[in-house]
Amino acid sequence: MTSLEVAVTEAKLMLTCGPGGVGKTTTAAALGVAAAQAGRRTVVVTVDPARRLADALGLGDDAEADEPHQVPGITTGANDGELWALMLDAEQTFDRLVRDQSSNKKQADAVLNNPVYQAISGSLSGAHEYMAIERLHQLHSSGEWDLVIVDTPPSRHAIDLLEAPDRLVGFLGHPVYRALTAGQRAFAKITDTAASMFLWAVKRLAGPQIVEDTIGFFRSLANIEGGLRKRAKEVSALLRDENTAFIVVSSPRSEAVGEAKHLLDALHEKKFPFAGLVVNLIHPMPEPLTDEDALLLADLDDGPLADHVAWHAELTQLAVAERAELVELEVLAGDAPIIELPLLEVDIHDVPGLIDLSARLV
Amino acid sequence: MTDWLTQSSVVVVAGKGGVGSSTVAAAHALAAAQQGADVLFIAVDGRPGMGELLGGREINDRDHVLQRKVGGPGGGTIRARSIPAEQAFGDYLELKGVGGLLRRAASAASLPMIAAATPGLEHLLVLGKIKELERDKTADLIIVDAPPAGHAAPFLRSASGLSDVVKSGPVLDQAQEVSEMLADPARCMALLVALPEETPITEMIELANELGDDLGISLLPLVVNACWPDRPGLDKSPAMAARSHKIKLSASAKSSLESAAAFGRSRLAQQREQIERLATARAEPIITLPRLATPRLDAADLELLADALASAVPIGATQ
Repeated sequence: MTSLEVAVTEAKLMLTCGPGGVGKTTTAAALGVAAAQAGRRTVVVTVDPARRLADALGLGDDAEADEPHQVPGITTGANDGELWALMLDAEQTFDRLVRDQSSNKKQADAVLNNPVYQAISGSLSGAHEYMAIERLHQLHSSGEWDLVIVDTPPSRHAIDLLEAPDRLVGFLGHPVYRALTAGQRAFAKITDTAASMFLWAVKRLAGPQIVEDTIGFFRSLANIEGGLRKRAKEVSALLRDENTAFIVVSSPRSEAVGEAKHLLDALHEKKFPFAGLVVNLIHPMPEPLTDEDALLLADLDDGPLADHVAWHAELTQLAVAERAELVELEVLAGDAPIIELPLLEVDIHDVPGLIDLSARLV
Repeated sequence: MTDWLTQSSVVVVAGKGGVGSSTVAAAHALAAAQQGADVLFIAVDGRPGMGELLGGREINDRDHVLQRKVGGPGGGTIRARSIPAEQAFGDYLELKGVGGLLRRAASAASLPMIAAATPGLEHLLVLGKIKELERDKTADLIIVDAPPAGHAAPFLRSASGLSDVVKSGPVLDQAQEVSEMLADPARCMALLVALPEETPITEMIELANELGDDLGISLLPLVVNACWPDRPGLDKSPAMAARSHKIKLSASAKSSLESAAAFGRSRLAQQREQIERLATARAEPIITLPRLATPRLDAADLELLADALASAVPIGATQ
């Protein structure tokens, strides 16, 4: 069995990551199909699925966000595997995190009702990445699932995702944050120079109201800080657990290959468990023309056959060049399997398409 | 029909990841410079290699020349730079005449902390810097290669979004000035890019609705990138096609040509269908750019795309 097949049958967590526009969501869903067919109760967490794929997964417009929906039409034979899908809602996940980490409703409400919190919970840079991981942790620790698959948000710097827990800890350890929140415990005025300058800068730039809200936000956050730090540590450990598997998805375009290389290096360097590389959207290689035929077909006058010959040459040229782009990725993938998937004649947008793709993956 | 290239002072180029929006932005810069415009190319979240593609060295945060006399003696200059949020912040403080104390405060606090307290601030600072460059007439045309993936809309929305949280102070003024620039088609327009496939076209329609209709940003022609050239001959089987040329194909030749043609027919059909769908959904004219048979574009490929943009006759143009 390849490490990807092992992951589908044994891993508890799986993450698909890679540049935007290469078919991460489709790959995640197809891996989910494979796991369900192997008898596992599986949930796929996605961020921004294309509309028709979302419909196929039961995540259409009417579906409630942040709740798992069972995907119909997955034939699992005699075993009791199931596939569910869930659309990530960063704000709701953030809210749930705050509630979980608060010791009472009052503490939680202090954070949740703060206007600064309300503004940032959906838009804080990196919040989506962190929340994808946080939701993964929530689902994983619920004990309801054999396998949780997370389709990570598209990101130019996909590595951001892996560092999200550390960034949260870094934020909580920032001197300004410490000074602002320490003031509350001592009921003292803010005497720290850096912190008072920070507040002054915010006030000058954005007005007095936001200063109040900011201090309020940071202080209310302080109540749940211990929990947030603990959670960040757990998540960080979970991502490196032996039952976790990272799948890198790319396309043969040079920009995507460049990003995938960067990601593979980072996974390796930071010791995240890597289980396989999927290269998607590869143009099919036409059958070559024999020398004799090529000679006969050279220098045709314009006409339908010239269209055929030009198209054959162009597609061949692209298919050859794409395969050359992949050589470096193949080296970086090492022992892990590399699955090359053709650019299909039409996008995958239904369950039979996913079932077909899952058979190509494992 | 190339007036649109330099119709507004700032062009924000946006599209989902993987559709080639950075490449189209570069081709737009090249095409405008070939017509004599001095162009500043701004890589907001630039991928490596863009400076080289435009004939110069790697783009960094200092405005530098990539090419002069682009395309001949009458050609303009292409300059490029990136705008890191920290730098935009520093420049902004300087511009506001904020002296040492606030600047020290800012550095002590560090931008990430302030940005955490003021959502969208980083984007706004970058847009604010672009607005300054536009107002100072630093170039005939400023091309902004906007952040990719889902980030183009939040980037452009930062100005209107911030005013929900920030009720006073220079940040609010900045947000209003940026909103004014975005809403004025003589100063700023958006160039949206997609591929001729179902999902990218759907996302382009959504982005056009969001930027054009919700945010009030005027849209240039919609660019459908990487379109295969139409080859009507593919509709015939290789054997039928050969008959019109009075050639008899071997069985192997028929089979080889058909192995490529089957794929080509379905791609071309999909391409036609998706462009029609876009034309039905949006009133803007549509420009198609050719797909080049390489996964790695070089300067010569960019020339081809620039020529295609400059000579494009937008489909359904009403202006």
